[in-house]
This record gives sequence, C-alpha cells and structure tokens, in this order.
Amino acid sequence: MLTLLAVFAPAFFQPQPLLSLATREAPTLVVACGMALVIISRQIDISVGSQFSVCGVCAGLLAASGWPLAATLPAAVATGALLGAVNGALIAGLGLPSIVVSLATMVTLRQGLNLARQGQFVNLPDGVQWFGLSQSSGQGLIVGFAVLLLVALALAMRHLAAGRFIHAIGSDAEAARLAGIRPRLGTFLVFVLMGALTGLAAMMNVVQSPQVQPLSGLGLELKVIAAVVVGGVAISGGSGNLWGAFAGLLLLACIGPALTHLRVEAYWEKAIQGAIILLAVVADGIRSRRTGP
Amino acid sequence: MKNSPLTRLLAAAALVLASTLSAAESQLIVAMLPKSKGNAYFVSCKAGADRAARDLGVKLLFDGPTDSNAAKQNEIVENWITLGVDVIAVAAENREGISTALRKARKQGIQVVTYDADAQPDARSFFVNQATPQGIAHTLMDDAARLLNGEGEFAIILATLTAANQREWQQLIEKRWKEKYPKMKLVAVRPCDDLKDKAQSEATALMSAHPNLKLIMAICSPAVPGAAEAVKQAGKTGKVKVIGLGLPSENRRYVKEGVTDTVVLWKTEDLGYLTIEAAVAVAKGTLKPGAKTFPSRKLGAIEIQGDNILLGKPFAFTKENIDQFNF
Repeated sequence: MLTLLAVFAPAFFQPQPLLSLATREAPTLVVACGMALVIISRQIDISVGSQFSVCGVCAGLLAASGWPLAATLPAAVATGALLGAVNGALIAGLGLPSIVVSLATMVTLRQGLNLARQGQFVNLPDGVQWFGLSQSSGQGLIVGFAVLLLVALALAMRHLAAGRFIHAIGSDAEAARLAGIRPRLGTFLVFVLMGALTGLAAMMNVVQSPQVQPLSGLGLELKVIAAVVVGGVAISGGSGNLWGAFAGLLLLACIGPALTHLRVEAYWEKAIQGAIILLAVVADGIRSRRTGP
Repeated sequence: MKNSPLTRLLAAAALVLASTLSAAESQLIVAMLPKSKGNAYFVSCKAGADRAARDLGVKLLFDGPTDSNAAKQNEIVENWITLGVDVIAVAAENREGISTALRKARKQGIQVVTYDADAQPDARSFFVNQATPQGIAHTLMDDAARLLNGEGEFAIILATLTAANQREWQQLIEKRWKEKYPKMKLVAVRPCDDLKDKAQSEATALMSAHPNLKLIMAICSPAVPGAAEAVKQAGKTGKVKVIGLGLPSENRRYVKEGVTDTVVLWKTEDLGYLTIEAAVAVAKGTLKPGAKTFPSRKLGAIEIQGDNILLGKPFAFTKENIDQFNF
C-alpha cells in the first residue's frame, strides 16, 4: 500500500503531516501494546476506549485545577490501573468471561462519564499542551516514548520470564498452572497493566491539544483489537508478538489519510478496514490449519 | 351558629388571604423546561428567559433534569400540571416521549410551546425554531465565500455521512455553492464521527493531500476545534481558514488566535427571550395559530412559518464579539 501511495500520491510523504500522524497514533500504539498482551493471554478488554476517556477527563480536570503535570501523569496512570484492576478482579478472581465483564465496564464508564460531563470539553490551562515544550519537541517526545515503550515491552515479552508466562497462560492455562505459574494472578496483572497503559496513553493524548473532549477514545477498542489481530496475534491466545501489533496499527492508521490522498470517497474507509481485518483472520485461519494438529 | 368575634376575625383573614391569592394568580406563571438544566447552553437560554420574564412582568419557573433524561422531563411536566401553571415551554429530549404529557397539559387548559427541540405538532401550539437548515447552510457557505473572495478550494468535515441533519446541511451547502459561487471548489467531504481528535487527523490529511486548500468548513461542533488544532500545528494559521458550527466556549482560544475565523450558532439568550415572549403571548391569546409575524420587543418583527416561530439567521461569533458569550 505504501508503494501505491509513493507512486500515486507522493504528497503523503511530507514530514509535517507524517509527524502529526505519528503523534496522533502514538497513544493508540501504547494501548495496542497492552491489548496485544491481553489477547496473547487469551482474554480481551473492550473497555479500553471508555477507560481512555475517563483517564483523559480525570487528567484534564486535575491539570485544570492546578495540579502540575508531574503529578497529573501518575494520577492518570493510577486511574487506569485501578479501572484495569476492577476488570482483572472480576475476570481472574471470579472467573467471569472477559468479553462480558469488559462490555459491562465499557458501557458503565461511558455512561457515567456522559452523565458527569454532558459532553462538555475540559479546557486546559496554558503550559499543559506539549508538556509546556515547543510543538516539535513535544511531538518528538510523545512519539519517541511510544516507540521506546514498544521496544521495551517487545523485548520483555521475549526475554523475561513474565513475558513467557503470559504466552504460557494464553496457550494452556492448566499446563501453565502445573508448571508452577499462577494463571489467575497473571491474568489479573495483565489487566492492571492494560489499564495503566491506557491511562498513560490518555495522558499522551491530553497533552496534544488545549482541551479534552470527553468523547475521545470512543471506538478505540475496535481500532486496537483490529491492529493486534491484523498484526498476527491469534485471537485464540498464546501466540503473536508486539512487532506484529505495531505493523497492524501502522497499516490501519495509514488507511484514512491514504484514501484522502488517493481522493477515494470516505464511504470506503471503514469497508477497506473491515476487509483488511477479514483478510488477516482468514490468513491466520489458513496458517493454523497448516501447522495445527 | 353564633358569630363569635373569633369566627369573624377568621372570616376576615380568609377574605384577605383569598384576595392576595387572586392577585398572585393574575401574574402569569410560565414554566420553562430545558433538556438539561446544568448545561451551559440552556443556562444561557435561561438568562434570556429571565430578562423576558422581568420585562413582561410574569413569573418564570425554570426546572429540568440534571442529565438529559426524557423520563425526568415527563415527571416535571406532570408536576407543573398539578401546580396549575399557565403555560409550559419545552425543549424536548424525546419527541414522542414528552408529547403524551404535553397533550395532557393542553387538555387541562395549560398552553404549550416548544423551543430548541420540537415535540409532536399536536402536543404544542408553536415551536420556537432557532435555526432552519437553510439558514445554517447559507450562513456557512456565504461566510466561506466572503473569506475566500469567492474563489478557491474548500473541504467539509461533518459528523457522519449518514446522520440526517448533517446530510441535509451538506446538501444545502452544496446547493448554495453551485448556485452562487462557481469559482469555488469543494475538494472533499470527510466524516469525523463527532470526535475532535479524528477531525484533527482528517484536517491534517486534507491539508497535505490538497496543497491549495484554502478553507475547512466543520459542520459538527467537535470538528471545529479539531480542524483548528490541525491548522495551527501545521503552521498554516491564516493560510487555511477554519469556520464551522459550534459553541463559542469550545472555540474561543482558536478564534482569538486567529486560527478560526467564524463560529456560527444562534444567540441562545435571544432564543430564551423569544420563547418566553411567545409563551406569554399564546397564554394571553394575542398570538394565535395562523399568525404570520410576531412582534418581539427585543428582536423586532419575527417571521412565522406555519407553526414555527423563526429566531432568524444564525449568529456569527468572531474575534470581535466572542468574549461576550460564555456558553
């Protein structure tokens, strides 16, 4: 697709719009990393979009009430971790299906936020946008941090025991338990991490503009789940890696702007996204039939 | 029964009380129901309504749900029926839902008008219509043409390609463009799903894909600040102009920085004022179905189309006046 763009719409490759695109998608990448871990551990979390909104509004309100960014950032991460812990406790503790639990928290958090804010924006004080830095340093910082986090998590998944545990829980929880891993604790911690990463991502989004829209993050869960699946992480758990999730997000994030450059009507965007996801799942199916038992 | 001094005293007291009550009754009671009473938009409607009530010497009751809750709206109307107010003005959260309660009020002899969001036509006598789709479309397109001197490329960002009101506005904008401004060119129409962040991404892509783009017209409220942030980050302030339909409070920063030129909406205070004036006129019988105009103390002669009282052309918030509005 990138070749196609290079030929038909070279204007796509201008530094400013690309940096802007990368900055806009950096928070999504952070959430996608978390989602990859959740899916590898054979769970799913569809409440991340609502968590993202709640963390963003909380961070915005704290910043607006005069909290310094150094305190707002940990607060946003903690809020996310707390929301993740609620999911994790219900899923790992009571053994409830994650799709049902996170569906419930998704709706509850979203409606709660609507009730509290009535769609009203949070206006941020000066000095919050770009962490008070210049626009280009702020953008560089956000993108750089997201990439660093991706690399760190990807390496951890491969080389640290914790990473291998997550794979083990996802491929066969019972075997993992017999091997001395505590799958329930593992699952709980994965959800806490998911929430913390979502809180972090929300903060990375808040600092990109002078106001917070409570609706921001709506539909985020679909985007990151799609990115992770397109990136070759098996929805049935146990296999896949973060590089794949990154590639998946790269592809999905470029579609919108690419279609604008290729002068394609907006009607097609979601259809094409859907087709790509379908293609990825089909490829996954064929691959697992070949290598399967 | 003997007329003891005590009974006589009581009777006299009752008489005095009755006469004060009827004096109070002669003051008209107007009850105004917003979709949500904490919302800045309706708070500013109320400011206008308060002024009208003072000017006209009527008593204004203002109550509504704290959130946008259709069932709670019904409850409040029921209470007002029991209380026996003279006229009710409603911004309906749910068109069908509220209509039953409003019909009941009319049966009890209470007059009903609607404002901002209409109920079923048979549940009220007039609807105070803040803006017609045509008024919005023409104001936006004419303003775009004014800013570009009638030529150049422009793009539209809307909420979704399927929402009925968005489609209608888009079509009326395109009609106006084709009829009046042939030298302008609409290069793209992009949806933002009512998300400010997505509008920003769309605007960024639009600017790089169409280097000659001169103006972005955002016709859903979150898209206006979204597009403005994109223009600002691209360093194209002034080169790519932003106009749109939205709230002054969400756009003040960009309008003052000169990124956004015009934000179009109606004056919510005027909407509140006109609503109370119309409600009082209906209750007093001076405004009857079939009327073609309505004389407003504050706004002059107001046009009535059918049973719609038209607030008139939308209002343009610009650098010069935006600080006077806080919703």
